[in-house]
Amino acid sequence: MVNSNGKKSMLKVKPNPSRLLGTLAALAVISLGAGGASAQEIALGAIVPSSGPFAEWGRSNSVTLKMLEKQTNDAGGINGAKLKITILDDGAKPAQAASSLRKLAGDEKVLAVAGPLTSSAAEVTFPVANEMKVVATSQASSKPGVAKLNRPWAFRNTIDEGVLAKTTVPYFKKAFNIKTVGIIFDAKDATAATVGKAIMPAALKANEISIVNESDPLSFNTGDLDVSAQVTKLKSLNPDGVVVSADYSQAITVLREMKRQGLIKPVVGATQLISSAILKAAPEIPIIAPATFFATMKGEAAEKFVANLQPLLRKESGLPAEIEPSMYDANIYEIVSMYIDAIKRSGVTGKPADVEADRAKIRDHLAKLEGFQGLGGPIGFNDDGDAIKAFYVLQGQNGAWDTKVRGCSSAPNHAGC
Amino acid sequence: MSTYYASLFAEAGILLLGALSVYIILATGQLSLGNAAFMAIGAYLSSYLTVVVGMPVTAALIVSAIAAGIIGVIVGFPALRLKGIYLAMATLGFGEMIRSFFINFPAMGGSGGFHGMAHISVGYIWAWAGGILVVLIVVERSRVWLEMQAVHDDETAAGLVGLNTVAIKVSAFGIGAAVAAVSGGLFAHHHVYIEPANFGFERSIDFVLATILGGSTLGLGSLIGAILLVFLPEFLRPIADWRLAAFGTLLILVLLVRRQGIVDRTLLRGLTFRKAAS
Amino acid sequence: MLWQQLVNGLTLGAIYTLLALSFSIVMGILGILNLAIAELFMIGGYFGFTLIAANFPLPVAVLGGMAGAAIAAMLIEKIGYQPLRGAPVVTPMLSTLGFSIILQNVATNFWGSDPLQLPDEYLGRQYTVGPVNIGQMQLIVVGATIVLVTLVAYTVQRTTIGRALRAVAENREVSRLLGVSADRLTLFAFALSGALAGVAGVLIALHYGAITPYLGVEIGLKAVAVMVIGGTTNIWGALLAGPLIGVVEVLTVAYGGSQVRDFVVYGFMILILLLRPQGLLGGARSDQGQRV
Repeated sequence: MVNSNGKKSMLKVKPNPSRLLGTLAALAVISLGAGGASAQEIALGAIVPSSGPFAEWGRSNSVTLKMLEKQTNDAGGINGAKLKITILDDGAKPAQAASSLRKLAGDEKVLAVAGPLTSSAAEVTFPVANEMKVVATSQASSKPGVAKLNRPWAFRNTIDEGVLAKTTVPYFKKAFNIKTVGIIFDAKDATAATVGKAIMPAALKANEISIVNESDPLSFNTGDLDVSAQVTKLKSLNPDGVVVSADYSQAITVLREMKRQGLIKPVVGATQLISSAILKAAPEIPIIAPATFFATMKGEAAEKFVANLQPLLRKESGLPAEIEPSMYDANIYEIVSMYIDAIKRSGVTGKPADVEADRAKIRDHLAKLEGFQGLGGPIGFNDDGDAIKAFYVLQGQNGAWDTKVRGCSSAPNHAGC
Repeated sequence: MSTYYASLFAEAGILLLGALSVYIILATGQLSLGNAAFMAIGAYLSSYLTVVVGMPVTAALIVSAIAAGIIGVIVGFPALRLKGIYLAMATLGFGEMIRSFFINFPAMGGSGGFHGMAHISVGYIWAWAGGILVVLIVVERSRVWLEMQAVHDDETAAGLVGLNTVAIKVSAFGIGAAVAAVSGGLFAHHHVYIEPANFGFERSIDFVLATILGGSTLGLGSLIGAILLVFLPEFLRPIADWRLAAFGTLLILVLLVRRQGIVDRTLLRGLTFRKAAS
Repeated sequence: MLWQQLVNGLTLGAIYTLLALSFSIVMGILGILNLAIAELFMIGGYFGFTLIAANFPLPVAVLGGMAGAAIAAMLIEKIGYQPLRGAPVVTPMLSTLGFSIILQNVATNFWGSDPLQLPDEYLGRQYTVGPVNIGQMQLIVVGATIVLVTLVAYTVQRTTIGRALRAVAENREVSRLLGVSADRLTLFAFALSGALAGVAGVLIALHYGAITPYLGVEIGLKAVAVMVIGGTTNIWGALLAGPLIGVVEVLTVAYGGSQVRDFVVYGFMILILLLRPQGLLGGARSDQGQRV
């Protein structure tokens, strides 16, 4: 329009209805702002791995967040403002996760960020969260100490594997009368290697279970197809049970090989094992692992969440037809719900001028959060930034997860579950 | 410039050095698919020096570059025995060995990774990346570069006219390794966390990709390639689930349209209107 | 345990052999590293898997995987290799990398990133011979490998098309003088290589009973090492080197070295390259290499 006849077209401007409405809306915003009420839109961000080896988790996380956004806005938004969640894909690559956080916090001016998912990504993204002074809460990282190193802005809606193993291992011992175990772990996966080399051995020793391959750790690498040699070796050592420390998709390879070689011994592991896919790998092998959520969980909040989300997940292209909501969908749902709660209750305005103050309010709200109603019970955070919430030791067998023990990751000077 | 773009430029600077490390070795006709190994050595050594020894970062980078350079020379000698794709495969094996080594090196965290480095700015990264690029562009106009080109084009002939082909090829390996180590040191201090998975085959391939896409006959090509490889995936975000496929497709298209890389001397001359003068 | 470990090693070795052979057909004849072979293997696996899941018999699944991967390989040749024929070897290598990125993305979008699993062991019967357990599928994998290597060796060494392939490998110009279409032969070499990768994919997916879009990445690099160790110019090299590396890996794990396994394998490859660049069974020519 700005051309040689610009003058002419300017003269031609007539009042038109849509422009009038727009002007009125703008005036409304200004008057609301002046009146001290909140902004039109509350911006939050999320970093999920929608491409690469964890694509399924990232894509189902995205569906979960879109559902929550719609639910919130249908219910009138946050203090009258619309919720907008900007979701970025990091492909499970640490560098992309870190630059995604910069885009969300710096360019999109979001008030808080959910994610990133993996511990490797969290390790490089959390320092950026501190630099940018914006809350980032991981939905899946459980490698010990990742949030602790990056206080005060880093949080994780997960429980440190070291805490979980303290409840998981005694149940495993009691349920299957375990005296000896063999350990096999994924040496390339930082979380799995830490669990396999340090956390599990310590928890086993505390429970007087001896490790048959203590001097000879058995490992494989992410992406290995064949673990037959490791399993044959385990079988020859004849332990009562097996520790499999690996991400579930790698653990499936181990379980299928155990089944093929007839090593039908109970398996114990970390939260990384929890998935519906792993139940199909070797239904006759019992799997013990801790979780804060699983799709067949009882309880009003959890059942409602699954009932709402499952049909949406199954409708989404790029996701398998029989997919169920995962623990990480529940975690990211809780994270953003906590942010919304913080915004509602701590006087966050959502105005561009207040963005720094708003971010600090959210952080302070989370740090002293107690008894937030999550999908599986009350949630708070400990001094390390990790969640205080209920967890369940689950037994997976014959295609279903079953709750065996309920625990709580309580911490001194914080309310329990 | 927003901090998001700044971080992308930081990535591009780190990748530029990785690409240059391949470019320098390639200039003597040797293809390395294992430069992530030198990057890993630089990342781990410089992090050790700053975190444990308490050295300033610049000094740590220089020491790491020299150490990696020496290792590069040591690797360069057996590499003389191999040519073409066979050398590429040996370097690939070397890369996997070094990664496997760091996974099993508990002193630096093993697969659990290593922390504690102080964050460096994008300006600092580009001081190194730009500095090395400028030095290289100057060297490209010197006699040394002509000698390297002679070895690249016809090693036997280069030897016959009295060039010390062994010294040229081995030093290229050493200097390439040193540049990759600087890239690794900057990477470690930019992300303030490293783990062996950062330095796999994929990283080595990224270096080669940046060099070849940008143009492997000019140092400037690596710059174009590095910027393209970092920014393209970001610009492809709107297509969501098909982002990587689109990236792969564009990669093939660029190679088909410009097999010599995006920039070469002809293009450069065309752009700078120096055609008439020459 | 040792005997059982040898069986494990030989099974793994058979897989390496098939993939290494797939790499070496393109490498030995055309001198380029086709990085998409790892993904052709994966795509072949998915085709076979889908057919088995739809209750087709094993031979149909194998043929399906083979055809699928061969067609994909021909597309790669037509789009990504043929136009770049005169370029330095690194250029077509990177264009095959582009295809491998595309194939991984396509597989993720069609089949998901979670492992796809067979509900039960396919042909799960086990035979016990003394201290050793061998599965029916394991026997099929090893048997199929021997048959396929023999077939490929026969094709390359005894048939007209094989002789023409070797002529092209020696010298493109000479092959034109002989009246052989080098372009069609190149296409044939890619298809043959893809077909082998596809068969390997189907067999392995069924043997392990689970498959992901990233199935080929690690094993692909190992197969490159196996190809180098065996020698790229001799078909039988892969048949020797595959089981050799399989057994070396398995024994490293069995005797306490699971963490240094990859270190050992790649170290061995470098040693072979330095001491005998033509590989264990390679001829004299291969150490020349093309300019990059």
